[in-house]
Amino acid sequence: MSVARERLALIVSEFTDLDSREKLELLLDFSNNLAVLPPEHALLASRSEHRVHECQTPVYLQIELDANQKVHLFADIAPEAPTVKGFVAILAGAFDGCSCDEILGMQSNLLEQMGLADVLGILRSRGLRAIQEYIKREIVRAIEKQTLTKERAMRENA
Amino acid sequence: MANNYVNDEVLVSTQWVAEHLNDPKVRIIESNEDRAIYTQGHIPGAVELDWQVDLQDQTRRDYIDRASFEKLVGSRGIDNNTTVVIYGDKNNWWACYAFWVFKLFGHADCRIMNGGRKRWQLDGREWSSDRVDYPLTSYTAQEQDGSIRSFREQVLKHQQSGKSLVDVRSPEEYCGDRRHMPEYPDEGALRGGHIPGAVNVPWSMAVNDDGTFKSARELTQLYQKTIRLKRHSPIVAYCRIGERSSLTWFVLTYLLGFSKVKNYDGSWLEWGNCVGVPIVKGTSPNGQTAEIPQIAAPI
Repeated sequence: MSVARERLALIVSEFTDLDSREKLELLLDFSNNLAVLPPEHALLASRSEHRVHECQTPVYLQIELDANQKVHLFADIAPEAPTVKGFVAILAGAFDGCSCDEILGMQSNLLEQMGLADVLGILRSRGLRAIQEYIKREIVRAIEKQTLTKERAMRENA
Repeated sequence: MANNYVNDEVLVSTQWVAEHLNDPKVRIIESNEDRAIYTQGHIPGAVELDWQVDLQDQTRRDYIDRASFEKLVGSRGIDNNTTVVIYGDKNNWWACYAFWVFKLFGHADCRIMNGGRKRWQLDGREWSSDRVDYPLTSYTAQEQDGSIRSFREQVLKHQQSGKSLVDVRSPEEYCGDRRHMPEYPDEGALRGGHIPGAVNVPWSMAVNDDGTFKSARELTQLYQKTIRLKRHSPIVAYCRIGERSSLTWFVLTYLLGFSKVKNYDGSWLEWGNCVGVPIVKGTSPNGQTAEIPQIAAPI
């Protein structure tokens, strides 16, 4: 099993057997643990570019690929949206340091697995699934950007 | 303290709520855009009602039916004589939405806590994250009150006879530049614009920065003097899914004493997707009219 899948399976098992209230409490724990970005982080400087437009509350996400093509996810989400914040914290923790292919190959049925889809309702769940899809699109964009940069460097060195 | 609203008693202050936390005749209800906010901390003793999961049918696009409402309300320890006080985030949008549903099923004594969560927080009052459970009660709801709800066929007739329509969305949504709220997702209306004849009075014009409603004088000035809505003429209010217009419906009906206001909960997510209904774009009520083909049966 891949790293991200293994991490998410562990989280899913934490949610299993909880009642609705406990699921929301656990989600809040994740929400409280979302890493606070350092003020110099690029995401905070150019927020509008990283806005997730599919999402109801202001959500800012940034994908970075390191030299080994591993994914790192940074997020800035208002405290008024703890549900979104908790879900993004789960994804950020699970995806950190994983390969692009691994994340791109994942299904978006996490909410159902955690039993959160029914607790949150149709519209909110749709918003959260859209975030997961947004992350995938941003990964594809980051790969393209990295490829272009490499090609340009090669041309310049040729 | 009297606020001089027509129905002063339906709007209670945070102070009033703080004094009735242990009153067995009063049940405090929180309703928010984000469910986890209640879990994080609520007014001590308040129960939660979620607009999506509790108040809406999960299969049909509609509110829950009468039997489900009876079961839901009974599960929160509310009986037919309970004074229900509702509050929430986002300027009490969802609180007004829940208030409207309680009135739809005929609950007698409903109130809104002026300023909602924001005012409670600004007043430095206590939050609790305790689980709240009350003994089950038996509750009898009435048949839906058709005098406060409008369906699309009725809205079409209302529009065709030139009666008042209030579009409470943002000016950008009204004129057709966008099909959803600024900063909110596009939930799939195929057309942008407004119902011909509708005046644009964004919901936010009725509230202050601290989440409370504007004064009776300011609201009268806006709705009756500037917009010239008549207190006893039929009026339909709508927005995108019926939540912001619940707030305007509440203001007109309870704070200003209008007698014939209906909420069109289908709102733009229905109208903007209907085949053959009239739509105009632009900033004026009758805007730049799009060509509407003449058909025998409009809907």
